[in-house]
Amino acid sequence: MNVQVDHHDKVLVARVEGRVDSSNSQDFERQLQGAIGEDVQAVVVDLGQLAYISSAGLRVVLLVAKTLGQRNVSISLCALSHPVQSVFEISGFNRIIQIYDTQADALAAAG
Amino acid sequence: MSANLHLRVPNRIEELPGVSEAVEALGREEGWTQDVTYAIVLGLEEVATNVVRHGGSEPGSSEIEIEVTSSDDEVRIEVRDSGKAFDPFHEAPEPDLDAEVQDRQIGGLGVHFVKVLMDETSYSREGGRNHVSMVKRRS
Repeated sequence: MNVQVDHHDKVLVARVEGRVDSSNSQDFERQLQGAIGEDVQAVVVDLGQLAYISSAGLRVVLLVAKTLGQRNVSISLCALSHPVQSVFEISGFNRIIQIYDTQADALAAAG
Repeated sequence: MSANLHLRVPNRIEELPGVSEAVEALGREEGWTQDVTYAIVLGLEEVATNVVRHGGSEPGSSEIEIEVTSSDDEVRIEVRDSGKAFDPFHEAPEPDLDAEVQDRQIGGLGVHFVKVLMDETSYSREGGRNHVSMVKRRS
């Protein structure tokens, strides 16, 4: 698992690659929280290269969404593969976090 | 035709990625779809993580026994451990799927995934061991 970060003005794009499970979710949390600076206005998490996520990883996404919500920073997800999309739907997270088909769509909405 | 995977691993979180790899290898041999493979790997990780975190044994001090049997119609997954008695399907908290971001709790989500993604689930306590059984149909 790896988190790559790009900045598009005040929008931070975090691309998550690989697998997030109970064995590395703490590392995922550190990388994701560490990537989000003070001056960010919106965060787009690109899951296009995420092969697998379990409830341990969803917990991190929820924690980050809560932290950002308290700072009035928006968060959205994009480019989910079919099984990853299913997991977000089963958890109900698709109703509390915006999900876009592509990074371009997410950036357009965040900008 | 059926193929079988039988593993015994110490009750440590670090062991679980190796279990996932072995199960995915079985799935490739058996031609499982991507969705079936994901459901089985996820179901096993969630159940085994519960055993490690809530089984009451010091990590590495006991074993989790995992058996996966793949046949033409279905995949059967059995997880046995000697931790304290715990029925994940009735004792884990139910997640509130409608709560807003700030109110949303994470507990119980793993078991919820298992209930939704598997076609059959059951729990029993046999000879001082927990036995979780799951079935995923292949179509």
